[in-house]
Amino acid sequence: MVQRRAVLAGLCAAGLAPAQSWADAGDPAYLSAAMRPDGTAVLCGLNRLGARLFARPLPARGHAAAAHPTRPEAVAFARRPGTFALVVNCLDGTTKTRLALPRGHHFYGHGAFSGDGDLLFTTENAIETARGMIGVWDTRRGYRRVGAFSSGGIGPHDIQCLPDGQTLAVANGGIETHPETGRLKLNIPTMRPNLSYVAPDGGILEQVTLDAAYRKNSLRHLAIAGDGAVAFALQWQGDPGTHPPLLGFHRQGGRVRLAAAAPDTVRRLSGYVGSLAVSDVENAVAITSPRGGVVQIFGLADGGFRRQAALPDVCGVAGGPGGFLVTNGLGQTVQNPTAARAHVVEHAVQWDNHLVALRGRRAA
Amino acid sequence: MRLAMLALVFLATAPAALAVDLAAIVRDHITPRYQALATTTALLEQQAKTACAPQNPPLTAAYHRAFDAWVGVSHLRFGPSEAEDRAFALAFWPDPRGATPKTLALLIRNSDPVVADPVAYKTVSVAARGFYALEFLLYDPQFAAPERPGYHCALIQAVTRDIAANAAAILDAWQDGYADLVSRPGNDLYRTEVEAAQQVFTALSTGLEFTSVTRLGRPLGTFARPRPNRAEARRSGRALHHVVLSLTATRELALHLAPGNARLIAAFGRALDRANALDDPVFAGVADPPGRLRVEVLQQSVDAIRQVLRQEVGPTLGITAGFNALDGD
Repeated sequence: MVQRRAVLAGLCAAGLAPAQSWADAGDPAYLSAAMRPDGTAVLCGLNRLGARLFARPLPARGHAAAAHPTRPEAVAFARRPGTFALVVNCLDGTTKTRLALPRGHHFYGHGAFSGDGDLLFTTENAIETARGMIGVWDTRRGYRRVGAFSSGGIGPHDIQCLPDGQTLAVANGGIETHPETGRLKLNIPTMRPNLSYVAPDGGILEQVTLDAAYRKNSLRHLAIAGDGAVAFALQWQGDPGTHPPLLGFHRQGGRVRLAAAAPDTVRRLSGYVGSLAVSDVENAVAITSPRGGVVQIFGLADGGFRRQAALPDVCGVAGGPGGFLVTNGLGQTVQNPTAARAHVVEHAVQWDNHLVALRGRRAA
Repeated sequence: MRLAMLALVFLATAPAALAVDLAAIVRDHITPRYQALATTTALLEQQAKTACAPQNPPLTAAYHRAFDAWVGVSHLRFGPSEAEDRAFALAFWPDPRGATPKTLALLIRNSDPVVADPVAYKTVSVAARGFYALEFLLYDPQFAAPERPGYHCALIQAVTRDIAANAAAILDAWQDGYADLVSRPGNDLYRTEVEAAQQVFTALSTGLEFTSVTRLGRPLGTFARPRPNRAEARRSGRALHHVVLSLTATRELALHLAPGNARLIAAFGRALDRANALDDPVFAGVADPPGRLRVEVLQQSVDAIRQVLRQEVGPTLGITAGFNALDGD
């Protein structure tokens, strides 16, 4: 009986009622939240050159999105500390469902699917205790919440699934917030960010911290290379007069390595990296600073600075087949921003912080 | 007050000439204010040593004078105030989790001997240090009538000693080199006058944002749910007074950055007039619509100052604010 059911299920998937794929949504290469001139928020799909394929409404300003690996659906997350996360059908723009957060939790802006797309993991704050949490949602059962476990720190922000399809990398930014005080940072003197590797059942596999001198360097965003190397981006919360490195690298079981750049190059970032992405074809990582108005490229293998380009209010970045694509608050998408002839597309929106690549990391 | 609530973009193309007298800012605004903080906190420590009963008038008078001096520098969140988390240790607020009363109660319950050792007291959570902790010890019903006056006295003495030491350390660091770094850029910290002026502008903007969003916004809450109990230092009746003090201090600094700017002078004048006319010292009025409206109008007048700064003063320093740059995440 079990076998027969499996066969029927297989037939369904194979052709009797063909499952819809990202090709049906116009084969977008990227997703990004954006704000329209009238103040309404949307989730947009872009092709690999940055042209817009679709725009689906969101209830409020978004932050990041997570794209299902196979089905043309994406989860759009509220700007921190938000309570909405919508599963958007990218074919018709309808909301398939809304993630139902338990009382006492709020989202922290990011989420990641397991490699097979069966589970979604979301970063959350357990408000009462200020402990960082990972919420687990079953995408096969209407995104029902099936559990939650510790993120391994305070203030988890970004979360990514490693190429094994199971291990989660979590950026515990270390910053405690409370809904009552919005985005106010409540624990700067005692903050202790970390990068945690977490099994899908919540087991903490490994935790990595920076040297004590960088205790106030909030580890907030992650990008994963095809070989499992993790690049992480930081936001400095210490004295604004100091300029520590804001990009680091790690591999499970290995040691942390910080990016090497001249002091003037680091200063351009104004203490703040908003997003980062890996390009395996370029063997490089790109970091963006909207405050410094700059995108910088570093070698993935050696962590050394390669080149940079000025671009006002740049934040979203993703690696694609044609190199890096970046977005900014002026509505521009720029392909290969550090190249002599960057490809710029102007849109009548303000792009939000994160540009999400839909292609598998290895294809990037 | 907490750091970096406001993000600003520093344009790559900075203005060629700068009309800001950085030396005057340090000499006439920053240094005298930190001197006042050091002096008043030293007196506070002395008063607590002499007589530490919570309702002792010389002690509470010294508390008010020193707290006034703190609010007058609470916008200057860079450099010496940030080293060793001194400013956090002077001013842990807001405190949505109630960490201050919890930590103080724990010290008292355990009769924690840490109060006897000034060096060790620096290891205590910042929630139990500084002016807001002292306010609890002097004014909150939970603490102000202590079961064991001896320990309570030692705790007050430890907190005031720690406040005075932090204030002295900040002043020392300014006088011991940091003032020169800001006054005469062209050093590793501030390579140009524009960089130093941008730092001062950021401090000013962040200070005004804190007054609007936190000092006024917290008690306002929402229309459906006003939160008068979240007003700053309400136990000692200081909430509105802090708004007046911080507006006065930020006006002084703003007019160093934009001397004679008529719109700025008018905007500060309107906000201060409204604050002075409010007659609601702890914003208790937010609980009913007419009182709430008056606090909202005051908040709007603070936001009007911020807008003038953003639109007229920031650009002269090569500063603009962007969609993502302001987002901070």
